[in-house]
Amino acid sequence: MKTEISFILNGSEVQVSVHSHHRLIDVLRKQLGQTGTKEGCGEGECGACTVIIDGRAVNSCLYPAFEVEGKSVTTIEGLQGPKNELSVIQQSFVEQGAIQCGFCTPGMILSAKALIDSNSDPSEEDIRDALLGNLCRCTGYVQIVEAVKKAAAQLKRKK
Amino acid sequence: MKQFEYYKPLSLGEAWELKKKIPGSLFIAGGTDMLVGIKNNEIHPPALLSLRSIPGLNSIETNEVTRIGALATISDIIRNPELKEDFPVLVEAAKNLGSMQIRNVATIGGNLCNGSPCADMALPLLVMEAKVRLQTANDKRELPIDEFFKGPGKSCLASHEILTDILLDPPSKNTKAVFMKKGRVKMDLAVASVAVRLDMEGSKCLKARIAAGSVAPVPLRLSKVEAVLEGEALTQKHASEAQRLAKDNVIPITDIRSTEEYRRQITGVLVKRAIERALEWSQA
Amino acid sequence: MTDFHHIGKKASRPDSSDKAAGKAHYIHDLQRPGMLYGKIKFSGHPHARIKHIDTSKAERLTGVRAVITANNTPEIRIGFLRDNFALKKDKVRQYRDEVAAVAAIDPEIAKEAVELIQVEYEPLSGVFNPHEAMKKGSPLIHETDAQGRPRTDNLVPLKFHHESGDLEAGKRAAKYSVEGEFSTPMVQQCCMGTAGCIAEFDMNNNLTMWAKTQIPFLAQRDFNRALSDMGLHGKNTRVIVPTLGGGFGSGLDTHAYEYITILLAFQTGCPVKIVYTRDEEFANLSPRQSSTTKIIQGCDRNGKLTFREVDVLQDNGAYTSWGATYPSVMMMPATSLYRVSNVYFNARLVYTNNTYCQAMRGYGNPEHTWALESNMDELAYEAGIDRFEFRMLNRNEPDEITPMGLKVSTCGLKECLETVARKLDWGKKRTKDKRTGKGMASLIHVGGGARIYRSDASGLILKMDDYGNVNVYHGGVEMGQGLHSVLSLAVAEALGVRPEKVIINPTDTGTCPWDVGTHASRGAFMACNTAILAANKLRSQIFELAEELYPEEAEKNLKKYMKKNPGYKPPDFDVPKASKCERFELRDGFVFIKDGPQEPWLRIELGRLLRAIHFRSQGQMLTTEVFYDPPNELPDFERGFGNISSTYAYGAQGAEVEVDTETGEVKILRMVAAHDVGRVLDPQGLKGQIYGALAQGVGYALYEKLESKQGKILNPNFRDYKIPTVREMNFPIDLEFIETNDSYGPFGAKGVAEPGLVPTAPAIANAIYDAVGVRIRDLPITPEKILAALKQRRR
Repeated sequence: MKTEISFILNGSEVQVSVHSHHRLIDVLRKQLGQTGTKEGCGEGECGACTVIIDGRAVNSCLYPAFEVEGKSVTTIEGLQGPKNELSVIQQSFVEQGAIQCGFCTPGMILSAKALIDSNSDPSEEDIRDALLGNLCRCTGYVQIVEAVKKAAAQLKRKK
Repeated sequence: MKQFEYYKPLSLGEAWELKKKIPGSLFIAGGTDMLVGIKNNEIHPPALLSLRSIPGLNSIETNEVTRIGALATISDIIRNPELKEDFPVLVEAAKNLGSMQIRNVATIGGNLCNGSPCADMALPLLVMEAKVRLQTANDKRELPIDEFFKGPGKSCLASHEILTDILLDPPSKNTKAVFMKKGRVKMDLAVASVAVRLDMEGSKCLKARIAAGSVAPVPLRLSKVEAVLEGEALTQKHASEAQRLAKDNVIPITDIRSTEEYRRQITGVLVKRAIERALEWSQA
Repeated sequence: MTDFHHIGKKASRPDSSDKAAGKAHYIHDLQRPGMLYGKIKFSGHPHARIKHIDTSKAERLTGVRAVITANNTPEIRIGFLRDNFALKKDKVRQYRDEVAAVAAIDPEIAKEAVELIQVEYEPLSGVFNPHEAMKKGSPLIHETDAQGRPRTDNLVPLKFHHESGDLEAGKRAAKYSVEGEFSTPMVQQCCMGTAGCIAEFDMNNNLTMWAKTQIPFLAQRDFNRALSDMGLHGKNTRVIVPTLGGGFGSGLDTHAYEYITILLAFQTGCPVKIVYTRDEEFANLSPRQSSTTKIIQGCDRNGKLTFREVDVLQDNGAYTSWGATYPSVMMMPATSLYRVSNVYFNARLVYTNNTYCQAMRGYGNPEHTWALESNMDELAYEAGIDRFEFRMLNRNEPDEITPMGLKVSTCGLKECLETVARKLDWGKKRTKDKRTGKGMASLIHVGGGARIYRSDASGLILKMDDYGNVNVYHGGVEMGQGLHSVLSLAVAEALGVRPEKVIINPTDTGTCPWDVGTHASRGAFMACNTAILAANKLRSQIFELAEELYPEEAEKNLKKYMKKNPGYKPPDFDVPKASKCERFELRDGFVFIKDGPQEPWLRIELGRLLRAIHFRSQGQMLTTEVFYDPPNELPDFERGFGNISSTYAYGAQGAEVEVDTETGEVKILRMVAAHDVGRVLDPQGLKGQIYGALAQGVGYALYEKLESKQGKILNPNFRDYKIPTVREMNFPIDLEFIETNDSYGPFGAKGVAEPGLVPTAPAIANAIYDAVGVRIRDLPITPEKILAALKQRRR
């Protein structure tokens, strides 16, 4: 069963024909060629597939394609600025050494963004809560938490 | 990948019609449990009937009775200021469910209808004596939530029935309820979990409701434990007695997550600690 | 203390920005034109004869391009004992044995086709326990060896043995001794990016493999051999390593799925990709091998160790991969962690029908240090000596030769132990009623390569262009550990250019010189040592050519400068006379005369000089190559002797924990770590390595275990195989680097990729014992085990 869906992807409208049994991650990676979103487990446990839908972080591996109709989706590809510059959160990850193999990174950054967008002054506990569903095997999370703290502080100052 | 059709009815009526038309089709809410079940070949529905587009199913209203729409997400519940005020135990359980990503999509109705003995949302609803409203095209009924769960993965929902609302009577000022969960790591299915509700007048317990999860085929009310607390002036001795009784009144199993022996132990400890916390809180 | 320009300073990793932007391309993201997707059918029986395979239904499915089994493909033997096969023919020996495979136009069709393949089995009795497998009359997992000779038992024909000094005398001299049996489970590497590869043949039958590998050149050798088995004699494999989603040892061998991909690519004439899903990875990618260790240590009345006796038994699983050689690394702490002269070490491996295991970070060291350091604490208690003092008393010192013949050059163990004790407030009296405790453990690991193959070498090419960029070709693998980052720093430092001008090219056997593999914490050690050698060579070349060309360029520069600055009077300096090799310097991409005047026109930009070299008559381009084999030895593991590495990394970690005696839960209050790193090359990267390894150590200690029953993995998913999340790592880690400045290491550095997880589990276990008096000897230390032990103790 296929249908045309249209939704906003990183600020631009897209229209694509999708299968009823496909997930948002399939639409993003295979049909729209946006491979920044990663599939780490397919069961909502690892968070590598995290995207933001209407301001909320979700696992795109568990989000039915049909449900994306009319929604606003942000993926890692949508974070760069107009001159291809990294966003504050991305830059903070780079600067704090929060990236090793990088596979968990897009999902981790989007979870951080979802947090900071809804809470401009997150405590360390808030940060750990927000990242609970993002597994990392390389970093031990120390520099990731630092990166999110610094990004939040920087974004707050900008405001 | 398992193939299935996916429908988005815009009304309950449309949902029931589709259900009638497509044998074997299943109602789906957030899907965070169901889609994993399909992926792992545990269920094979030919079609999924999403309830997400039906207006009104996800609203939360606090009037005489608090009505939580079944499609309210776990995040909606956490963010709701009235629920935080009136039913903090429900919000506490919600905060312990999964991860931020799961909570943004998973629904309270889905969590209950999945029928898992581990269901995080079941325990606070049990101790707060919630009712569930179940509807078909021709019928509507309300049941106490105690009667909802029938076995692992099984609820009393008839095949065409949709859980539409969870209803809660207003809490009394002297109600204190606590939720505690133990997993292997922080984001986990419960190895054991408990909710304890005490309605206290001074040190006298007017009402006690205690429920335990992951230690029986269904989320379980521990009525024998409740009985030793009700009507009593509660002391540490009661908490310890409750611990002992709780251990003996659950029927856990050994599985990949833990052992029967450990689950029994933990339930006792969590019951004791939840009672202590509720008492502390009521004395504060 | 040498003043470096780039080494030891904060560096930006060259790969980070792309990764942050989602623009790094992993095997999962790569596509080739016309690419097909492969899926494998696994046996689902731990031990059975294959009676019949019916692929007809699968072949008829629309979209399927090939279905292969051992019956329609040439036999390909794999594994260093050649006891495994790409596709299994007569018999399956483990639940995950590869029996057939499909290539189709999309992965969903491939998966459906696999389900249509019907295999008839005759189940055989399985054996799932090494003790059972060693008994007479136990079913034979392998009836013959790779040469076809009949086998009579399930013992793996690998010998790991060491005897030094006089064990009996050591025992007699001991006033105190403690015996213990320790075990560790199978745990999984859990790379966030799962395993996979793409195979593609050209029309000359040469193969390109995009592989998730840590051993591109040994893989090339293996794949070339497979090509030969396929009748493609003399054909070549080019192995290209894309961005990897982690490694941790999982890429240290070649796997059946890779050969299957090659067979499918050859059969279809199309590129084929196989990528494991997470549950396939858990169930079908070899994990860390489990172990059981019997250890007895003794000390005299003063606390000096007098003997150590170790016996190891390992479940090898159905086939042999690098997990089988863990005892070669276990021998290192067994003989060389702390000073003890009378050592006995023996290890046996037994085939079973469990999943076979491969390398994982630490490679036997975490397993052995778990036993050794737990037992050290037990012995300290027995002897009535403080656990820190006990370790200090028996510590290794610089310039030692250990019983295994390890030539310890620098050794920071004393400083590491002291640092850990200090940070843990070791001497501080604790309140008795709190269930908290402290523990520590130390480690020794290879820090200067590890010769486990006839070569431990690495090559490096520096290719200059016309712009002052340095193109680096090196066969080491970047898997997130920061190899490319330290390599850029090392080249920049040693050559004299800015790190931004250093371009690390992709790891590709077609372009990079040979490297044995990125393992044994040798990556940075080898890359940076070769970089220094190559850079020095290149500098000599540049300065030699500059003798002739520098004066001309300086003159041109002066003219320009004087035009811009009329009235400028240049100093009295004979540039041609000063233009001698030994007087030149290259720093920050500028060539100048070391002791000459500081005039700006005397600084010639490197690119300018290179263009001058290139475009003059009979010009040249500068490319330098080195091949470096470190001064270490391939040990004789049957005798247990040989200096396997050029230097050794020491370290210590400490833990403070709180144990909830009602629930058995362990809360880590804090950890401290002091690691002897020789020299810090990339501070942020190094911290990340230790934090990450430590987190894996915490997982090993408290949470992780692959559950296996009758050879089947019962928890092949993150729902039931729990790795630490950000909440489990919610405790401060106080980390300090001890710089011992080793002469063998690049800029004094030692390899430190693995040490971070070696002492973690025993440090935590020792703290738990200190807190509540229970000693758990099998990992992971779960609340269930603690409660059961507390209950036992109360009886």
